[in-house]
Amino acid sequence: MKYYDNDDELERALFALDLEEPPADLRHTILASTIYHVPVAATVRPWEPWLYGGLCAALVWLLIAVIRGAVAPAMTAAASYGDELAAFFSQPTTLLWFAVGAAATVWISQVNLTVLPGYQRAARR
Amino acid sequence: MVAALLEAHSIDPSSLIDDQTLVAETLAGRHEAFGTLVERYDRAVYHLAYRTLRDQEEARDAAQEAFFKAYRSLRTFKPGAKFSTWIFAIVYHACCDRLARRKRYSNEELPERADTAAGPESEAIASDEARRLRAAIAQLPEKYRTVITLYHLQGRQYDEIAQVLGVPMGTVKTHLFRAKEQLRRILNEQTAGARP
Repeated sequence: MKYYDNDDELERALFALDLEEPPADLRHTILASTIYHVPVAATVRPWEPWLYGGLCAALVWLLIAVIRGAVAPAMTAAASYGDELAAFFSQPTTLLWFAVGAAATVWISQVNLTVLPGYQRAARR
Repeated sequence: MVAALLEAHSIDPSSLIDDQTLVAETLAGRHEAFGTLVERYDRAVYHLAYRTLRDQEEARDAAQEAFFKAYRSLRTFKPGAKFSTWIFAIVYHACCDRLARRKRYSNEELPERADTAAGPESEAIASDEARRLRAAIAQLPEKYRTVITLYHLQGRQYDEIAQVLGVPMGTVKTHLFRAKEQLRRILNEQTAGARP
């Protein structure tokens, strides 16, 4: 073991020290996180922010309405519309027309409306 | 002609480009230029982090974090400044953050959580005296370790070290003087203890 009498000897020893080797994959990990880094793709669809934004806006509006005490009239109006709707659907005539409409829809969905090419139509005849 | 000369003397053309040009090229969209900067400084940056933190894994993370921050904020790099000073300052601050976190989560003093292992491969093949010197440096307080690392092991100038550490140049000189004093004391005590 060396005895360091003066600064010069210590300085020489310090300057002679080598830098440690970094881990083998350090450069690779640095490059992977910088220049080869692929930005993460957006996980939300384009319409989703609009939907969530709309819902948030509606919630805020509702909250303000609650604070201002305008909920009771709104609830009354909604209840009266509900009653009118229920009365409309309970009439026999309405129900009959709904049944006719549903039957027509089912029948049309069963009809084959595919237009065949000319030579196939001729062969059918 | 130039390319042929470079090839004949096996000189990497990228080694002739200065750091500022590489930064400018990276900002202009040629991202490979940053790769050259990484090649130039990854060893020195890791070394500074390792000397400051004395933990291989943390040093590696700090080095990676420093380059990531540098890459992200390359636009804030001042054209007249030295890239080496800038990247060293970033890694030094990253190390300080880690040391502060380490202190918060343990009751130990900052320098006590040491990775006293000899270090990466180079130390395994180093001479006994060099290993002893490295171990003695590891025993120094953090500010002295950093100054010794930057000045003696990386050959940085006083003014650059002052900029990296954010202290006056006189403080750097004082730290260096005290670091050497402590180092000599540690080494000589070991020598005296080993003698019969």
